[in-house]
Amino acid sequence: MARIPALPVFRIAGRRVAVDVAHLAFATGIVGWCVWFGLDAWQSQADVENLIMIVPAAIAALAFYVAILVGCFRVVGREDDAVSQRAPLRAGMGAKIAGTMALLIAYVVTGPWIGFDVTSFGYILAMLLFLGERRWLVLLLVPTLFCVLAVYCFGTILGTPLPLLLVPDFGS
Amino acid sequence: MIDISALGAALHILGSSWQPWMVVVPGILIGLFVHAVPGLTTSMALAVCLPLIPYMDFLQALIFMTAMYAGALFGVAIPAVLLNVPGSAAAVGTTFDGFPMAQAGRHNEALGIALAASCFGQFVAYLLLLVLVQPISAFAIRLGPPEMLVIAVWGMTLIARLRGRHLARGLLAGAFGLLLGTVGLSVRGAPRGTFGIDLLLDGIAIVPAIVGLFAASELFNLVGRDYIIDDLTHRKVSAGRILAGMRDTFRYPGTLFRGALLGAVVGILPGGHAIANLLSYSEARRAAKDPESFGTGDPRGIIAAEAANASSEGGSMATLLALGIPTGGATAVMLVAFGMHNITGGPAFMRDHTDIVYAVILSSLAQVGILALIGFGFIFVAGFVVKVRLSVLVPVVLATAVIGSFALAQNMAGPITLGVFAVIGWLMQRFDYPVSAVVVGLLLGRLTEGALLRTYQMSGGELEFLLTRPIALVMLFLLVVSVALPHIRPGRIKRVTTH
Repeated sequence: MARIPALPVFRIAGRRVAVDVAHLAFATGIVGWCVWFGLDAWQSQADVENLIMIVPAAIAALAFYVAILVGCFRVVGREDDAVSQRAPLRAGMGAKIAGTMALLIAYVVTGPWIGFDVTSFGYILAMLLFLGERRWLVLLLVPTLFCVLAVYCFGTILGTPLPLLLVPDFGS
Repeated sequence: MIDISALGAALHILGSSWQPWMVVVPGILIGLFVHAVPGLTTSMALAVCLPLIPYMDFLQALIFMTAMYAGALFGVAIPAVLLNVPGSAAAVGTTFDGFPMAQAGRHNEALGIALAASCFGQFVAYLLLLVLVQPISAFAIRLGPPEMLVIAVWGMTLIARLRGRHLARGLLAGAFGLLLGTVGLSVRGAPRGTFGIDLLLDGIAIVPAIVGLFAASELFNLVGRDYIIDDLTHRKVSAGRILAGMRDTFRYPGTLFRGALLGAVVGILPGGHAIANLLSYSEARRAAKDPESFGTGDPRGIIAAEAANASSEGGSMATLLALGIPTGGATAVMLVAFGMHNITGGPAFMRDHTDIVYAVILSSLAQVGILALIGFGFIFVAGFVVKVRLSVLVPVVLATAVIGSFALAQNMAGPITLGVFAVIGWLMQRFDYPVSAVVVGLLLGRLTEGALLRTYQMSGGELEFLLTRPIALVMLFLLVVSVALPHIRPGRIKRVTTH
């Protein structure tokens, strides 16, 4: 059963205000990057040729952020009104999505360093287990088949050798 | 407009030997298979096959590459519809309505629509090319940065239309995408937003970023479910329903023709191939009486995107054959194949080898029928994806995308870009920001900046300069009309009803 998350309530100027902190943090992160990018471009070369589109786009991003910022604060009457407008995640989904993201990030970072043969096998096996697969035949066959096919297809048919640990010279 | 004697010679070349036709089926199949892998591109498939080119005669080589191009142009629609993962920028528009249709159990119809629209788009484009190849070459040479700028701005109006429920969030997403598109070295060599990382000097790898943004939006959310389609009865792969989808395509002739014509015209321009599908989608949505149904699984969305994407091939080929200028990665590789046969594209090629040009166009028209048959079989097999458990499908698709993005970039930038944008994409979706607006911005960022800068340099900052560019003025007028019309029409209709 999904539970509708409650927003933290602050007392601002004598009023009870619910703040969507998560959304605020996300929007601030996006616009923070936009502003930093504009400044970085400015510092790199402060001429029209370099800034003709970047500065107007960064200023526009800042203006849109102000409009979003206003929406992140909502005056509420009772504590019960301070609920998030977002659709709640189903029970256990947050952990599953976070786990999937973490495994993907680990895979993209380690794949090129260690080799795609070993890391692809490990990634697919870990994902299968994480998503609840318990049939040993599937756990063995899917990662093995994927690795063999991927290494063969990319190395020989497509002629783009991948970094590999077990057969480092395959396809090169 | 048509050189009849050259056309007769072309028919003779194609009819007197079976050799040119031998490469059509392998070419289409390679194109289809390559684009079933998210992250791989047409130019990569063409480049991989370049070593085969010297072993073919020139016409056979050209037919082989156009067949591969044709297969790839449709192939990108398959992962876009079934998995919401566009194989390339050219299939972004297809995901908007293709994936919602697949989730609603209408994947057979969606794939059938994509195939029919793609075949129709290619047919119209090559028919136009056959009749207008010489006038097109004269027209293309007159298009410059101001005209490209107007087209880029036209593409950006899509951001406002993709805003979702919150205008400010949609516009912020679009501005974010535009800025992301300009990361890397400026035209004058200044590094921008690279964090001192050399791999970012060339900018953000577009295809891994798009795959990450779209894959994240859906694949992360799918991990808690068993299948893409929840209802068991909707998971059937049905040839009859694929055919029904193909038939349904022709119930929207206006959308189909508009998409095909728009794609053919935009395809003439450098980079036009990537944005043709988005422009066409935007125009179809603007012209619809019920634009709110777009994005929820409306067949017109797929028709508009696919017809334009496919017909942009004809436009690209016009520029390649008539001017010898590549408009994208795929046609650039084709130009290399020209060089392998010691032939240079352009006006001289058009003059001296008109029969070859017509033979390529005629064979491409015939390829449409072959693509319809092969594509039908291919999507029948690909449709079984909906029967695979998501616990197996999600890791396999993500791993394929990661490896594909490495192969594309040939360094860590590809996989890391995919991973970072996967997380950003999911967060955007969670906070109700339209991911597609970022993608549009990302695709148009560099293009718009380049066109804006060159227009500024040409004009010296004087607006009167635009008066010397009649084509740009006409395009600007059409842009203003297309933006203003939806706001004017309801008022007029209301007034007429009142009277």
